[in-house]
Amino acid sequence: MTTDINDHGGEADEIARLLRGRLARHQAPARLRVSVVETLSPPEGRRRPSLWLPPALSALATAMVMLLWLVPALPRSGGDPLQLLSRAVMTEHARAVLWGEARPDAVAGALPRVMDETGVLLNWVFTGDQDLQLVNAQPTFLEGRRALALTYQDRDGHSVSYIIARGPNVAIPERGRVQIAKWRPLVTKDNGFTLIVWKQSGLVCVMVSDLVSDDDLGRFKGYFVKVRSATELSRSY
Amino acid sequence: MADDEFRQQALKHLDALYNLAVYLTRNGSEAEDLVQETYARALRFSHRFQPGTYMRAWMFQILRNTFLTFFRLREREPAISEAGVPDSDAPMFHHAPVEDGESAGAHMDLERALALVPEEFRTPLLLAEVEGLSLDEVARIMDCPVGTVKSRIFRAKERMRGLLKDYGGPDRA
Repeated sequence: MTTDINDHGGEADEIARLLRGRLARHQAPARLRVSVVETLSPPEGRRRPSLWLPPALSALATAMVMLLWLVPALPRSGGDPLQLLSRAVMTEHARAVLWGEARPDAVAGALPRVMDETGVLLNWVFTGDQDLQLVNAQPTFLEGRRALALTYQDRDGHSVSYIIARGPNVAIPERGRVQIAKWRPLVTKDNGFTLIVWKQSGLVCVMVSDLVSDDDLGRFKGYFVKVRSATELSRSY
Repeated sequence: MADDEFRQQALKHLDALYNLAVYLTRNGSEAEDLVQETYARALRFSHRFQPGTYMRAWMFQILRNTFLTFFRLREREPAISEAGVPDSDAPMFHHAPVEDGESAGAHMDLERALALVPEEFRTPLLLAEVEGLSLDEVARIMDCPVGTVKSRIFRAKERMRGLLKDYGGPDRA
């Protein structure tokens, strides 16, 4: 049985009329529609089961059993898109530390070109304060995705890379997320680096630094809060 | 339900989901993330959807559960003043229709009043009165009895009425 909304009293309807007639109705932006269509699109090769599937699965199971014997000897290379992206981010960070120039005076002039090349729009960006200074901005390419790399430097000379990549299909697992101020990004440590990963406006954002000790991690989280709260971004198409 | 049909059906509700997400998160960017996460979850759990039941209500239920899981902690964010109202006088969202100043002020009051209604009252009010869902469907989404939904909608309206008086009365809105 369906209960009618008007069952709960007539005098309510002044507010109901106002809500229906005057409350702004928000239409999904085109970029969200594109992202959702991408999310709903079946990955290539995932099709409905065919007649050859059972024997193929059987063969695959046999191969898997054999593979299990070999796994300990195989080099570890993650097929997980997030892990691959994280590795690429660490490489990019290492490149920035070793070869990147600190040009705080040139960043503002370079940003429009970098945004144009990467398709990542920074409506607002954290350019620095007494603790952390934006020193470089570069377009880059990570795991087949265009990305924008910002490099910050703190007072002690630690480099922090903030990389924003176009990759809506990268899922961020709940496990490993940590509450930092009002956000819950993923915080991981890998190969001597700490990474903070989150999604914003359909883009994957990663901050990476060599701040790994407990004290340094607290400082890094503070940098995350500065950057996250003062940066507003979106994708261009 | 076939995958393609499921996708097509699910996409039809994008605007309605986004609209509710905006009023839940009070932030366009977070609303986008919430809706995208909702679709990712809907796809993941599509095998649980029973064909013949109302997909719209099912999607709203996923959206609300996702909001409660991931986004509710942000309700007390510093961008909102202590009274729970955004500090800025500008309209909260970017996609509000173009309108004259008086009408924009009315929307502002309605949105402000709505923002001050707690989520468990605001959501059933929006679902029933703005999205036009039946009380049974709202009850399923809210995971509570129909009587509770009626009571919450009634209390939400009472609260809205009081708040709109504070802002200059429903007539002004």
